[in-house]
Amino acid sequence: MEDTTLMDLWKAQEEKLDRTMQLNLFLLESMQKQKVRSKLNGLARIKASAVILGIAYILLLGLLIYGNQFKNIYFSISIGAILLFNILAVIVYLHHISLIRQVDYSQSITGAQENLSRLQASTFNTRFLFLQTPFYSTWFWSQEMIAGSGIKFWLISVPVGLLLTILAIWLYRNLRPENMHKKWVNRFIRSNPEHRSIIEAQEFLTEIEQFKA
Amino acid sequence: MQDHKPEFLRLLEEHKLIIYKICNAYCKNMSDRDDLAQEISYQLWRSYSHFNGSVKFSTWMYRVALNVAITFYRKTVKTGNMIQLTEPADDPEDKKEDTTELEKNIGVLQQFISELKELDKALMILYLEEKKYAEISEILGITETNVATRISRIKDKLKQQFSTINK
Repeated sequence: MEDTTLMDLWKAQEEKLDRTMQLNLFLLESMQKQKVRSKLNGLARIKASAVILGIAYILLLGLLIYGNQFKNIYFSISIGAILLFNILAVIVYLHHISLIRQVDYSQSITGAQENLSRLQASTFNTRFLFLQTPFYSTWFWSQEMIAGSGIKFWLISVPVGLLLTILAIWLYRNLRPENMHKKWVNRFIRSNPEHRSIIEAQEFLTEIEQFKA
Repeated sequence: MQDHKPEFLRLLEEHKLIIYKICNAYCKNMSDRDDLAQEISYQLWRSYSHFNGSVKFSTWMYRVALNVAITFYRKTVKTGNMIQLTEPADDPEDKKEDTTELEKNIGVLQQFISELKELDKALMILYLEEKKYAEISEILGITETNVATRISRIKDKLKQQFSTINK
């Protein structure tokens, strides 16, 4: 088959194109009123919801610390650490939202798709939140508890705290895009529908690399 | 932005076939096509204020439209890849008799394009639109050599498909 024949076929199919799509002034007016819901705005909305929830949680934690007035050092340090992790997470999410707002579709296809896929895969950037886990097992510690529970504290509370620390560090170090080939990482992400898009984004990044090669 | 509206609408009207072709190539059903056309129009309008004329309007439009189509396609249309461009026949038997060689070949071409990966599909659309390799390279962000190699590979596959069917 000749190239010209292919082009002719392509031209011939133009006659059969579905041209009923809405591309009119009315639609443009609607867009200006922000009635059009962009797909990407959807992603920004999810991140914005996370920011709102994060801020509410930060305020709650702040109130708890304020209420405690540093009477219990274990409580203050634990809640303070959780507070810091959540402040960082909110900053990361705000950064994501700003990146989404800056997405430039007029870039070259491979350039824009690379940026979009990186953005999609960026959920991994908040995996540092795992590191707050051990502090959930220490906030209720107190001098009285340590003195009163004797050996039980050293046999139960401390090992639980240590175990959670090891687990949190291990998850932080291993749950990364580079380890997607590992079954458990893959399974962990696939178990959450929201995270499946991360795998697709990673796969597409590989596809773009191959395409550019 | 309001000042640009008449100019933008004129250009959109002039080049709307680009949107139709891309929507038809990337979306299986009518409602998806409508959504994609809306999304493309929205993103074109949103980006228009940054269009500085350093490239041809059509080049810029292909970039935006294909980027939106690929993003949209990856997010929503993961299943099914048969493009239906014509209305379904009331009686398939009657239709079969009326199917000409040309229609059959158009069908093969559409089916082939629909089965391509997103980026290859964009490449093939631009090729069939008779864009020069330099412009395709500019739109896709790959080298001209890469454009030529990939097009040649895709065409070989397509020719093979046609020859199998026409045997």
